[in-house]
Amino acid sequence: MLELIAQALYSGVLQGGSYALIALGLALVFGTMSVINLAHGELVLLAAYIAYTVESRLGVNPVFAIPLALLVVCLSAMLVYALISLIRNDREINTLILTYGIGIILTNGVLLIWSADIHTTSSVWLQDAVVVGPLYSMHSELLFFVVSVVLMGGLWWWLSRSWYGRAVRAVSSNRDAAKLMGINPRLTEIISFAVAGLLAAFAGVALYSYGVIQPSYGHVLTVKAFIITVLAGIGSIPGVLVGALLLGVTESLTVTLASSALQELAGMTLFLLVLFVMPNGLFGAARRRG
Amino acid sequence: MKANRTTLVGLLVAYGVIPLTLGHNNYVMSLIIASLVIGGIALAWALLGNMGGMVSFGHSAFFGVGAYVSAILTLKAGVPVAVAMLLGGVGAFGASLVMLPVLRLRGPYFALAILAYAHIFKIVATEWESVTGGAGGLSSVPRFPVLFGFDLGSKVGSYLMILSVVLIFVVAYKWIRSSYYGLALRAMHDSEDATRVVGVHSTLLKALMLFVSAFMTGVVGAFNVHYINFLEPDYAFNGLWVALPIVAAIFGGYRTILGPLIGAVTVYLVDQLIFKNLIPSGHQLILGALLVAMIILSPGGLLPLLRKRSRNNHAAS
Amino acid sequence: MNTFYKKLGLTAVTALALSAQAALAAEFLVGAEIPLTGNLARVGSGMNEGISVAVEVFNKTNAKHKIKIITADDESAPAKAIAAVEKLAGQGVLAITGGYGSNNIAPASDAANKLGLPYITSGGVDDALTKRGYKTFFRINNTQGYQKAVVGLLGDMKVKSVSIIYLTKQATGDLAKDVQKELEGKGLKVGTHAFDPAINDFKPIINKVKLQDKSEVILMVGYENDYVGILRAAKVLKPDVKAMVGVWSLATPKMASEFPDLMPSVYGTALLPFPAEFKTADGKLFADTYKKLYNKEPDYLGQFGYVQSMLLFEAIARAADKATLSKGGIAQELSKTSRDTLIGHVIFNEQGDNPNFVHRMGQHQAGKIAIVWPANAATGKINFPGVPW
Repeated sequence: MLELIAQALYSGVLQGGSYALIALGLALVFGTMSVINLAHGELVLLAAYIAYTVESRLGVNPVFAIPLALLVVCLSAMLVYALISLIRNDREINTLILTYGIGIILTNGVLLIWSADIHTTSSVWLQDAVVVGPLYSMHSELLFFVVSVVLMGGLWWWLSRSWYGRAVRAVSSNRDAAKLMGINPRLTEIISFAVAGLLAAFAGVALYSYGVIQPSYGHVLTVKAFIITVLAGIGSIPGVLVGALLLGVTESLTVTLASSALQELAGMTLFLLVLFVMPNGLFGAARRRG
Repeated sequence: MKANRTTLVGLLVAYGVIPLTLGHNNYVMSLIIASLVIGGIALAWALLGNMGGMVSFGHSAFFGVGAYVSAILTLKAGVPVAVAMLLGGVGAFGASLVMLPVLRLRGPYFALAILAYAHIFKIVATEWESVTGGAGGLSSVPRFPVLFGFDLGSKVGSYLMILSVVLIFVVAYKWIRSSYYGLALRAMHDSEDATRVVGVHSTLLKALMLFVSAFMTGVVGAFNVHYINFLEPDYAFNGLWVALPIVAAIFGGYRTILGPLIGAVTVYLVDQLIFKNLIPSGHQLILGALLVAMIILSPGGLLPLLRKRSRNNHAAS
Repeated sequence: MNTFYKKLGLTAVTALALSAQAALAAEFLVGAEIPLTGNLARVGSGMNEGISVAVEVFNKTNAKHKIKIITADDESAPAKAIAAVEKLAGQGVLAITGGYGSNNIAPASDAANKLGLPYITSGGVDDALTKRGYKTFFRINNTQGYQKAVVGLLGDMKVKSVSIIYLTKQATGDLAKDVQKELEGKGLKVGTHAFDPAINDFKPIINKVKLQDKSEVILMVGYENDYVGILRAAKVLKPDVKAMVGVWSLATPKMASEFPDLMPSVYGTALLPFPAEFKTADGKLFADTYKKLYNKEPDYLGQFGYVQSMLLFEAIARAADKATLSKGGIAQELSKTSRDTLIGHVIFNEQGDNPNFVHRMGQHQAGKIAIVWPANAATGKINFPGVPW
């Protein structure tokens, strides 16, 4: 029994790391622009399919797909930003509906280009087991957990130390004051989206490496990313990691201790619980009630 | 006077011309009925958005609950179909009661919290096998009865039923809008604090709108299950019951009452008859593009856009 | 005068001949309601190919009657399936072949029954489908056939314990529970683990099997993405089992080519080995026509589509000969079917089910698929114990 729970925790933590990578882009854009990009999950999925294309056409390990994925997904993210900036009234709600529509376009676009077949990496190394005592995992899971933590650390450093990062934070807290200080809000917003695209690209390649992808999965990813963003609270990067780990472990424990048919239920219930009990998330600033 | 004449003509066409000319073509009638189902949900969704100020991404929750309640009541408790349909609406209203805590949340949180509820209801429907038939769902759900020798279960009969249901909703929506509640809600839209000062209980009003919207969607869901005679969790809580009404309402103009309806019929028919033949797999892409275009160009819908165009033309001349 | 009568006579004879030929060369319209889009699109197109081959073969081997197929896409959705059936009825078809997924077949065959159209399918194994008392519904396969194959294979393996990992959908859940009951009745220890369609990571479940069940065989009941996930997790955790057995959509050339590292020694239901070998004349004709039309080897979907449609066409021909087409003759003729086919000897019982249906089990061996159960249809030796790691 103890072994079961230990493995469940271990798997849950690794899965949580990957979830964090998926959610980070959404959380970043939300934190800096107060915009929820409902098409974020589809961007991640797009990167995953690019990884598939690279692996199946060139026969190389999917990690080599990262440069191409970065290019395509960042460009797509900036396209999304361009469309969002065209909205004038009722920004919050209309952006929500707009990105929802973009999500539909992307999901169906993926379906058209790649068909409904399921795919996953065929690289043997990535799928091979890594045994640490009684705990098992795949190479890909460990690898991308590390990548995820590194990227998060990098993002945190960038937001707090670099000029651009601090500009992004300035714009998000007071746009006009930032303008007075000589910061171009447009530019920082574009940068936020581009960085979100970068994170999505890594998340997508990771997804292809350890999981199975199909076109309908984009929506599922967006929902998961949103749940984690809510768990984290606005404006908190470490919160995203904690929230993601929490989700991953909850799902894993539910499957192990209860029935795996209830995995999705656990996630949704956790989501609603946090919304009611701790609306500011675990680490966020108060901005939830309206 | 003019409006009344247009209404009369419209009613004549809907109740008379269409059944007479298209009634024999089962396929087209199926499409029209399906589009009216979407229209009903779109109307309810727009009502919640306009009157309650809340955008929801989970109306499939109400649709599915209404369908299941009605189906189970007719199958297992022998309740007559018409009564069960109303009770389906009541069931959906009950589902919205469970969602009350979510009312305090701001826009995007509310929208996605409702979505979470939809997922949870779907899982409940899948797991609660003894009542809902589990993943296999319920089949041979009773059809509409024969009334005075006229089979309401036939294509024309079902069409007339859904048409009437939707028109009743339109009247109800109009009534709410012009009533005290409507005025209060619209004032609230502009400034919630000011209205609170005046004594308008904003949360209660918002809750009422949620109940109305849920009830309407539930009834439509119940209609659908007796029309299709079949139900399963994937179908009842499908994402299409969320996406299509939103596209329809935005396209048709979600600030107006008839906009969502007209949008639904137009979008659905065009999608099924034209887009599907162009792109058999993934034609919803065009719907997504349509949604994006409408939100950017004319969030108020197609009618304001056309009106703006004609006004520009007049101004130029 | 003579010329006039001659001309009249000639005209009369020609007219008679033409009309006679028209009556003889009568074309019968049959509807095919298939998922060509949506999440069942792949299986739908496979079945559609089988149907097209049946049309080709029937028309070639039948001088008197010709069949023409009209296809309608049901978009893998129940409501659209009904609409498709109605559309086909409006176009004057005599019967419907096709359908995939019990969730779509139930309402579609409901609609067909109301319109008096016979409905034959191979895509709906749900028990409830044959309990409705319809005289117009027929199917050539069922859950019991899969159950018999799986239980038979496990019996041959002589194992004492099995873990069943199954998807919580109707068809998969029912099969899992039926197999569990039968195995427990035979004295085997059976552990069951249900999973939700949304599950991606199967390691917790495999871990439970490995540490708690400690079974000798894992039986997987799900769809392609589930098999891939389970096999992957098993490859990582390496439970101490002697075989990995699945059901439909597993022992296919597609799985062998797309996931070659996950498939070795894995079992699944399969009608034919791969590469396919057909021993009967019927089979050879089927394979050749398939190759000619689609330039590839037939798979189980094509076979099922072929068999169900051939049976329907032959019934239509018989009813036409007896002039009972408009009096429910097709359904009557179908119920009298008793014919050897690619899937064995097919008969229909009162409920329209094929009680003779028994599937076969294939095993992935070195990139090919060999039939390993039942013994009289085996094309290769079973590789037991054997797992992909």
